[in-house]
Amino acid sequence: MSLRVVGVTKRFGDLVAVNKVSLQIERGEFFTLLGPSGCGKTTLLRSIAGFNQPEEGEIYFYEKKMNKVPPHKRDVGMVFQNYAVFPHLSVYDNVIYGLKAKKTAAQEIGPRALKAIEMVRLKGLEKRLPSQLSGGQLQRVAIARALVVEPEVLLMDEPLSNLDAKLRVETRSEIRALQQNLKTTTIYVTHDQEEALAISDRIAVMDFGKIQQVGRPWEIYTNPANRFVAEFIGTTNFFEGETVSKNEDSTLVSVKGVELAIPRQEESKGSQISFAIRPEAFRVLEDTETSLTKGLFPLKGRISSVEYLGTLTKYEIELAEGVILKVNSYDIEPDKLKQTGETVEFGYDPKRVLIYKD
Amino acid sequence: MQSPFWRLTALLIIIVFVFFLIIPIAKIMKGSFQTEEAGPFTLKNYKDFASYRSYWRSFFNSVFIGLASAITTILVGVPLAFIVSRWNVMGKALIITLSTLPLMLPSFISAFVWIILLGRQGMITHFLRSIGIPFESIYGYFGLIFVFTCQLYPYVFLMTISAFSTMDESIEEAAKVLGSSPLRTFITVSFPLVLPSILSGALLVFMSSVENFGVPMIIGEQMPILAVSAYVQFTSEIGQHPGMAHTMGIILILITMTSLVVQRRYLAKRNFIQSARGRPLVKELSTLKKLVASSYCYFIVLFALIPFFVAMVISFMEMRGPVIHPNFSLENYIYAFTRSARPIFNSYFLATIATLVSLLIGVPAGYILTRHQRTAYSGTLDIVIMLPFVVAGTVLGIALTIAFNKGILILTGTWMILALSYTIRKMPFVARSSASILYQLNPELEEASISLGVSPMKTFFKVTIRLMVGGILAGAILAWVTIISELSSTIILYPPGWSTMIIEMFQGVISDDMGTASAFASILILSTVIPLLFITRYLRGEQTSIL
Repeated sequence: MSLRVVGVTKRFGDLVAVNKVSLQIERGEFFTLLGPSGCGKTTLLRSIAGFNQPEEGEIYFYEKKMNKVPPHKRDVGMVFQNYAVFPHLSVYDNVIYGLKAKKTAAQEIGPRALKAIEMVRLKGLEKRLPSQLSGGQLQRVAIARALVVEPEVLLMDEPLSNLDAKLRVETRSEIRALQQNLKTTTIYVTHDQEEALAISDRIAVMDFGKIQQVGRPWEIYTNPANRFVAEFIGTTNFFEGETVSKNEDSTLVSVKGVELAIPRQEESKGSQISFAIRPEAFRVLEDTETSLTKGLFPLKGRISSVEYLGTLTKYEIELAEGVILKVNSYDIEPDKLKQTGETVEFGYDPKRVLIYKD
Repeated sequence: MQSPFWRLTALLIIIVFVFFLIIPIAKIMKGSFQTEEAGPFTLKNYKDFASYRSYWRSFFNSVFIGLASAITTILVGVPLAFIVSRWNVMGKALIITLSTLPLMLPSFISAFVWIILLGRQGMITHFLRSIGIPFESIYGYFGLIFVFTCQLYPYVFLMTISAFSTMDESIEEAAKVLGSSPLRTFITVSFPLVLPSILSGALLVFMSSVENFGVPMIIGEQMPILAVSAYVQFTSEIGQHPGMAHTMGIILILITMTSLVVQRRYLAKRNFIQSARGRPLVKELSTLKKLVASSYCYFIVLFALIPFFVAMVISFMEMRGPVIHPNFSLENYIYAFTRSARPIFNSYFLATIATLVSLLIGVPAGYILTRHQRTAYSGTLDIVIMLPFVVAGTVLGIALTIAFNKGILILTGTWMILALSYTIRKMPFVARSSASILYQLNPELEEASISLGVSPMKTFFKVTIRLMVGGILAGAILAWVTIISELSSTIILYPPGWSTMIIEMFQGVISDDMGTASAFASILILSTVIPLLFITRYLRGEQTSIL
C-alpha cells in the first residue's frame, strides 16, 4: 500500500476540522475525498501535503512516517484550486521549476519538460506567460508541473472548480486518462458528487471532519452507509415509519398513514424503521400496464410538479398529505408526459429499498 | 507552516523597535514626571501644563486646527470624490494622480510659498490691498487651516473615491427599484456606506495636522502649537521647565493615539465596502455640464499645487533677501551649490540608507503580518509597528536624542541617528504596503513552490519577492521621497555637517534668505516628482495601502 492515514485529527481552535480519520490508499489508485464545503476534505489533503500539522495521528508514505517531514521534502505533486501557476514564469519555466529544485540532471530537464507539456496538450505554448493563457490551459500547466517531477502522490484540490461546466467534464476525463497511463497514486478533493463518481477508483465521503463511507463509486451510490451519504450522493426519498405487518419476503411500513413495502425485517410489529428509495427505482405505469405483472409494489398519487430535463423527467408525486415522492422517469415519448394534477399509478421493487437501522 | 525562521525574524524586528522606539518613548514618559533630570516623581509638569495659559492654549490650538482641517478637507474632498467617481469628467486618472502629489511634497514648501504670496508683504496681499480689499495676511488660524486643507484634502478624497468606486452598483439600484429618488438614495444608502471611509480620511488629516511642525512654525508665528512648543521647550537652553518638552511630547502622543484607536476600533470595523462586483454607473453628462464639472476638479487639484509651481518659478528669479525681482537668474542655485552641495548629498544619502534599511525590515515584516496571521508574534509585531504612526516627528527626535546621548550606544550627534529616525518613521509604511501586495497574492503560489521541493525560505526569494518587486519598488520610492522632505525630527537631530536640503530651506526662510530657500525648495520638488513619475502606474493602489 502506498499511503496510510492513521487516526488523524486536525483542529483550528475549537473547530475539529478533521476528526480521527484513517484511510489506506493503494499504489496507483485514484482516490477521491468527497464532501460538502467545510467537511474537512481540503484540510486533510493539506495535512497529507504537509501544509498543516495534525494534532493527532500519523501519515505514512509506504512505511515512512511523514509527520515531521516538511512539505518541500515530501515528494508530492499538488494541483491547486486557483492553479497557482507562477505568473512571472513562462509555461516552460513553470514546468521545470520542480525539476530544478530537485536537482535533476541538466540534460534530462528539457526532454522531460517537453514530454510533460505534450502530455497535457500544450505543445507550442512553452514560451507563453500565464497571463496569455485561458483557465483551462492554466490548469494543464499546473497538472504538467505537478506530474513532471514524478511525485510519489499527486494531490488535487478541487482542480476543476474554476472551469465552466463543459470544460470541467472534458478535463476530468483527461485527468483520469493521464492518471491511468502514469499510474500515479492520486488523491483528489471535490464537492461534486458526479465528478467523484466519474473519475475515482474509490471515494471517501466526508462530513463534519469524519469519514462517512469509503468505497467504489457504485458501492457508495447503490449502498450508501447512512442517511448523509444517501442524500449527498444523488437525490433520494427518505422515510421514517413503523412496521405494520410482514409476509414471506417483505415488511409493510406505515409512513404518515401510507403503507410502503420494504424487504422482510425481523423486528416486531410497531418498531421504528428508516429507509430510502432512489427516484429512479420507481416506474410510472402506462394505462395498459399493471404493477402486479411487473412485480412492483403498487402506488397511486397526484403529480404535484413536473421538471422536464430531456433525458429524464423529474416528477414529484403526492401520495397523501405530507408524503411527496421524487420519481424519475427516463426516455418518455412526449405524448406520454404526465401533467401536474394528473393522478398516476406507479410502483417499485421492494428489493431496491435501502434500510437504515441506526 | 511553522517555520522558526519567521518567528525569529519577527522577534528580531520587535527587539529593534523596543530598543529604538519603545525605550526612548518610555524615557520621555519618565521625563514628563520629573522637573529635572533624575529628579523625583512629580505631577508638576502636567499641573503646570494645565494651569499656564501658553501651555494649555497650545493643546487647544493643535486640537482645534486639527478638527477644523478635518472638516474643511471633508468639504473639499467628498464632493470632488463624488464627481470624479460618478460623473464622466475628463482625465480621471490624471486628476487622481495630481491629487496625490500634495501628500508627497513637503508641506513646508507650501507654507513658505503661501507666505510669499499672502504674507504681510505678499504679492497677492499687495494686489488685494491695491484694489481696495483690506486683506491682512495669512498668518494665524485661517492660514494654518488653509494650508492644511490644500495639503491634506487628498486623504479624504482618495479614501472616499475608493469607497465610492468599489460600492456595488446593485445596492443603489435596489434602493431605486424600491421607489427611492436619486437624492434620497444618496442620503439613505450611498452616503452612510462611504461615511466610515470619509471619517478615516478625516482622522488622517487630523493626525497629520496635529503632528505637523513646519507649517505652524512659520505660519503660526507666536501662536502656541504643541508640536512647535515641544521643540522650542526642548531646544531652548534655559527653558524654565526642563521636563515640559517631555510632557508636551506625551500629550501629543496621547492625542494621535486616541485618534488612531478610534480609527482602528471603530471605523475599520464599520467598513461596509465589499470587494467590488459591479462598478457604480458613471453618469454621462451633457457637454456643458461635463466641462463645468471637469473644470471644477482641475481647479481644486491644481490650486493645491500652486505653491509648488510658484516655488519652481521664483527659484529662477533674482532675490535680495525677502524681496523678489522679476528677472530670470540662476543666482539662487549658484549660491546654493557654491556654498555647499553637501545638503543635497546628505538628503540623498540619508534617504537611501533609511529606505534600504526600511525595506530590509519592512518587507519581511509585511510578510509575517499577512502570512502568519493569528500567531502571537504576528499580533505583537502588528501593534509594535503601528507605534511610529502615533509618534510625531518632533517627539521622536526628542526621544532619540535623550535615549542615545549617553550609555552603551551613543548616536546623538552622528548621522546614524537621522537614518535611525527615518527608518523608524518609514518602515511601517513599507511593511504595510508589502502586506497589502501580499494580501492580493494567492498563498497557493508559495505552496505550489514548496510542494515542488523548494524550501519555504528559498520560496520567499524565488517566488514571493519576485512577484512583489513592482509594489516593493513603488513603496520604496514613496518612502524615499517622503524622507527627503522630513523636517520635524531632522531639525532636532541633525548634527553639524549633516544639514539636509529641507533644513537649509528652513534656515533660509527663518533668516529671510528667500533665494536659497526657493532654490532648495525646487530641488526638493524635482527630487520628489521625478522618482514618482516612474511609479505613477502603482501610485493609486499604493496610496490607499499607505492610508
